[in-house]
Amino acid sequence: MSSFGVVLLLHGLALAASTAQPLPGIAIERRLADRYRLAVGDTVRLTPAADRPAARYLVEAIYQPKADPATALRGEYQIRFHLPELSRLLGAADRVDRIAVLGRPGIPADSTAFRLNQPAFGYRAYPSERIASESSRTFAVVSRFHRAIGVISIVASAVFLLCIMLLKVEERRLDAAVMRMIGISRATVFRAFVLEATLVAAVGSGLGVGLAAVAGALTNWVYRRRFETSLVFSHLSPDIVAFGVGLSLVLGVAVGALAARRLVTARPLALWRRAG
Amino acid sequence: MTVVLGQDLTKVYSLNGRQVAALRGVSLTIAAGEYLAITGPSGSGKSTLLQLLGGLDSPTGGRLELMGRRVEGLSDDELTDLRLRQVGFIFQRFHLMSVLTARENVELPLAEAGVGRRERSERAAELLAYVGLADRADHRATQLSGGEMQRVAIARALANRPALILADEPTGELDAATGAQILELFDRLHQDGVTLVVVTHDEHLAARVPRRVHLLDGRIDRDELATAR
Amino acid sequence: MTWALVVRSLFRHPVRTALVVAGIAVAAALLLDMVMLSGGMERSFSRMLLSRGFQIRLSPKGTLPFDTEAMIPAITPILDDLRADPDVERVGPVLATSLHVRVGDSLLTLVGYGVDPAGQGLYELEAGADLVPGDSTGLLVSEPAAAAAGWQIGDTIRLQGRLDPQSARAEAERVVTVRGVVRFLYDARGQRSVGADFRVMQRLGRFPDADPASMVMVKVRADDRVDSVAARIARTHRTVEVNSVAALVVQFRSRLVYFQQLSLILATISLVVGVLLVGTILTITVSERIGEFAVLRGIGVRRARVVRLVMAEGAVLTAAGAIGGVILGLATARYLDAILTSFPGLPAAISFFVPERTAIAKAAVAVFVAGVAASGYPAWLAARAPIAETLRADAE
Repeated sequence: MSSFGVVLLLHGLALAASTAQPLPGIAIERRLADRYRLAVGDTVRLTPAADRPAARYLVEAIYQPKADPATALRGEYQIRFHLPELSRLLGAADRVDRIAVLGRPGIPADSTAFRLNQPAFGYRAYPSERIASESSRTFAVVSRFHRAIGVISIVASAVFLLCIMLLKVEERRLDAAVMRMIGISRATVFRAFVLEATLVAAVGSGLGVGLAAVAGALTNWVYRRRFETSLVFSHLSPDIVAFGVGLSLVLGVAVGALAARRLVTARPLALWRRAG
Repeated sequence: MTVVLGQDLTKVYSLNGRQVAALRGVSLTIAAGEYLAITGPSGSGKSTLLQLLGGLDSPTGGRLELMGRRVEGLSDDELTDLRLRQVGFIFQRFHLMSVLTARENVELPLAEAGVGRRERSERAAELLAYVGLADRADHRATQLSGGEMQRVAIARALANRPALILADEPTGELDAATGAQILELFDRLHQDGVTLVVVTHDEHLAARVPRRVHLLDGRIDRDELATAR
Repeated sequence: MTWALVVRSLFRHPVRTALVVAGIAVAAALLLDMVMLSGGMERSFSRMLLSRGFQIRLSPKGTLPFDTEAMIPAITPILDDLRADPDVERVGPVLATSLHVRVGDSLLTLVGYGVDPAGQGLYELEAGADLVPGDSTGLLVSEPAAAAAGWQIGDTIRLQGRLDPQSARAEAERVVTVRGVVRFLYDARGQRSVGADFRVMQRLGRFPDADPASMVMVKVRADDRVDSVAARIARTHRTVEVNSVAALVVQFRSRLVYFQQLSLILATISLVVGVLLVGTILTITVSERIGEFAVLRGIGVRRARVVRLVMAEGAVLTAAGAIGGVILGLATARYLDAILTSFPGLPAAISFFVPERTAIAKAAVAVFVAGVAASGYPAWLAARAPIAETLRADAE
């Protein structure tokens, strides 16, 4: 997007009148059209700065720009010009900010960029991948931040899970004592409690995935309305579901096993007394 | 002086939607200083009567006065205060606060009654000495034997110098020898003028109590005074 | 007596208590971090803008300071007018432009700031000497620029401006001497910047004949006059954007609304986790000890006292958790701040997590209140336990 400030003079908006010269056409994005109730065929006056003369343009098209996370939060509006028209408006003739080059199939972008840079004066060629990686640094930072928050949440939920499993085990002392007293082996009691913990973790994970889906849908709904964009803010991918469910199961089984071990290593009579 | 005056007391419980009458018109008067045993088979209403006498529960019908005060219609706070100052409870399972020491368990009702720290401490020491546990004052409840725990419970019941001591199967969890020690302690309490009502299955205990009230199906079957000890 | 009962009850299950405290501490740490995040950015931004006391910024119409390459043309009459305003104490024009300097065989690109030494609000001197008004050959350099070019104070340098990309030749050059090393307040980490006299930089930068400035900083004599002075400047100079620091903070807030909403959501979640933890554990604990509470009620302990006992347990748990949470939260905030301040182009002076007493107190109080409130239900359960029935059930 151009970094030149193009000021839209809407207070001076004049609808198209018959003129000798046809007005240059522009395309405006849907949000801008909605914001100022502009339609195809309307005329707008545009200026690059408040103290520079304005020029009249005809709205020829209204378009929906591709959702871009880099600009979604800025709330700026886009207008598309024919290149010479924008140059004329800015007073910067025969000048562009960037040129996109599509290489022939099979030729690596790196080698094309290298060849273009060899004789170059006045430009620098970059493979698209590098530009993408540079411009996604912001999102890489956000991603790292989210991961760190995720780790904290995992620690909190692990502690919570540990507490609950510990309480469940204490609650089951009497059952464990009775099972051991009637001759059921330690291994069977252990397996029974671990299986129970696994089931609890599995049901909990399922509920958690459902809750995450609802929260994600709500987040997307709120932010899409807030920023007038079709961007996806919360995406529950199979990877994330697998990670979340896997982690809950591992934690649940581990904590269950730990707690069950406490039960089976105690003497049945001691368990009985403590349960009483 | 009359400590308890119960007239035509009834108590009906709702059990799984079914109405069960635990007491069916019990009338009972207990004078100050009396030592009384309530006996009867399981389900005869002994514990229910004890709970009504102690203000733990309210009668469904009839009239009950404790120390001249009508119990029906008292608010929860008034009943609580009545239990705190006029009634001392001794439970079958002792029910001491396991995290507190013997001394602290005895001090608990004193603290609730607003007795100052020093006075509390002196009274607790005095009571623990009375029940023969002066040397165990700083032991946690869990470090005491069954008989010792019951003696702490007796000291706790006596803490606020109540008008009435109620004991529910006080020897039920104890062996014969320890039970006998508790009964001796009860005898001493009686000699010291404490009004004592004991619910028991224990014939040995009942036999040494001056007045025995026998309940059957929620009614007083017999109310007799022992002729000799 | 109450406290002995509370504390010893908690120590009855030391592992359980330790886990609950740890859980509350993690939730409290997250809450503290989110409280710091929600207000920290704004405070840090505001502090950065006000660090030299300039309360108003003038920028090209329709832009924020340093947000675009746009410039304010014909700045001299505007500066004269501002200086003539009796409410204005100081005026600091700034021009930012790209400069180049040859280091060995390569060309080093620098950010050049033109400042008025009599009214600058852009940097703080770290070593050497500051520029003085009228010094047309002095140069101030940032630490990263000095390191990249190997400059020392006293070195003479040939600065190049308006480099023609076609011929790789500079249209403007000036020989300057490094006077001092400074910290430019709005620079990103590692940004190579240099500062020179405003008029010198105008000659080295783009459109020298347009008498341009990127921004003007204005220091108003009295803080309570800032808004009225800003409004007056905006009325008089309609071709510039006039913003007070407060207005810029509002703009900044709208850019970082994501973090504020994230912090609100996560803070809410952490509070809910804390409440659930305390509520669940105490409810289970009370259920386990219901006989004990019935006995207390039986021997004459009032309902209110039972409620206080359970709530005091909740209070002790959450207080311990909150203390742990503050320590943990401050440690994690440093780690999270290191992540977020690595945003490309973000001024090094910006912090996302500002450990202020109010933030710490807010988080600790919120956790404490939530924890105590969460113990309300189990306390009610304990106090409402039917004495006779519970004792009967206990005897069976």
